[in-house]
Amino acid sequence: MPRFDYTAAIEELQTFRTTNERRSEYVASLGARLIRDKYITKLQDQVWPLYEQITIAALDVNDFDLAKHCLDQLQVRFGDGSLRLQRLKGMFLEAQGKLDEAQKIYDNILEKDATHLLVSKRQIVLLKERNKPEEAIEAMTQYLDTYYDDHEGWIELCNMYLDQHYYEQAAFCCEELIILQPANHIWYLKYAEIVYTLGNLTLAMKHYCKVLELCTDNVRALYGLQLCASKLSSTDHAGDLHALATERLLAIYSKQPEHIRQLVQQYLGK
Amino acid sequence: MSQIVGKVIALIGTLFLAHSAYSTYEHLNYLKAVEQSETVLPVEIAVECLLSAFVALFGVIISAQPFKNVLLESQMASMTIDKFDTRPSFIGFNHRKIVSTQGQLERRLR
Repeated sequence: MPRFDYTAAIEELQTFRTTNERRSEYVASLGARLIRDKYITKLQDQVWPLYEQITIAALDVNDFDLAKHCLDQLQVRFGDGSLRLQRLKGMFLEAQGKLDEAQKIYDNILEKDATHLLVSKRQIVLLKERNKPEEAIEAMTQYLDTYYDDHEGWIELCNMYLDQHYYEQAAFCCEELIILQPANHIWYLKYAEIVYTLGNLTLAMKHYCKVLELCTDNVRALYGLQLCASKLSSTDHAGDLHALATERLLAIYSKQPEHIRQLVQQYLGK
Repeated sequence: MSQIVGKVIALIGTLFLAHSAYSTYEHLNYLKAVEQSETVLPVEIAVECLLSAFVALFGVIISAQPFKNVLLESQMASMTIDKFDTRPSFIGFNHRKIVSTQGQLERRLR
């Protein structure tokens, strides 16, 4: 592979760092390739967040050698005083299943710095990993009482509630997310789907429309709208919305191959 | 393509601009040597300076990247659920951890 491979790889890894995607196998194999071909020594200061990213990806795919190698490099550079490195070591122990030792490290870090957000979050994950969902939810609620603008925390709480089938509380979490990030159509979509599950079809329809307003031709929202409108055939705008959704779906799928189009047409009843 | 042409034009414009600056300096030296004091710059240098400035400006404008849409919507539409729902600080490792042999081979360190 020519040199172009490496710069493109580094840029791709950087994109993953900004978008927070979880593609651990891919990231770990790219990272191992960079280390194996010794390209990683040519980078200067941007190599440290890269090592962190590769470590977490390696832990996700159960590759402890790769993770240990990266942790050793970070240890040489940052030493024992770095709380970020301590957190990574805690995660290393977590992945190996040694939850009590990980707990000790996290308690240590919180003693030194009581406001370290990321480590408070790890403590909650530890409760989840010990299969104690109720306590994890309680800890999460307490955490969000203090840091109520942490959208990641609200998403996590929403998913925890959904796992336990507490749909109304999950809907509440989605409402908080909508308040925090009103321009993001994903939260409206999630809220619409939860509210649909609870049976509140008019509210679900309203929010599917809002998603379409923010992100035109969002296929998932169109399907949801079509479903709601077909069940609410009695109310005012339902007929129009149903027609709109069907028309838009057919228009979007007209560019797809024949067999997919036939499936969609069959489903939509046309 | 237009980027390369634009950059070349901008480079030519800058070179001529530098040339006109150097000729002003030379002209002033010449005046000192001949012991005349002239307050008006010779018209050729002024014309060269203005023309090269416009050429450089033109080149830079051509070589600019295409504009991005000012509305946030077009960027939001390309964001998938995967990019928002990951919660990286809450990553948990107690999942199935299915590891493929090919993956392991790709990740060897030596």
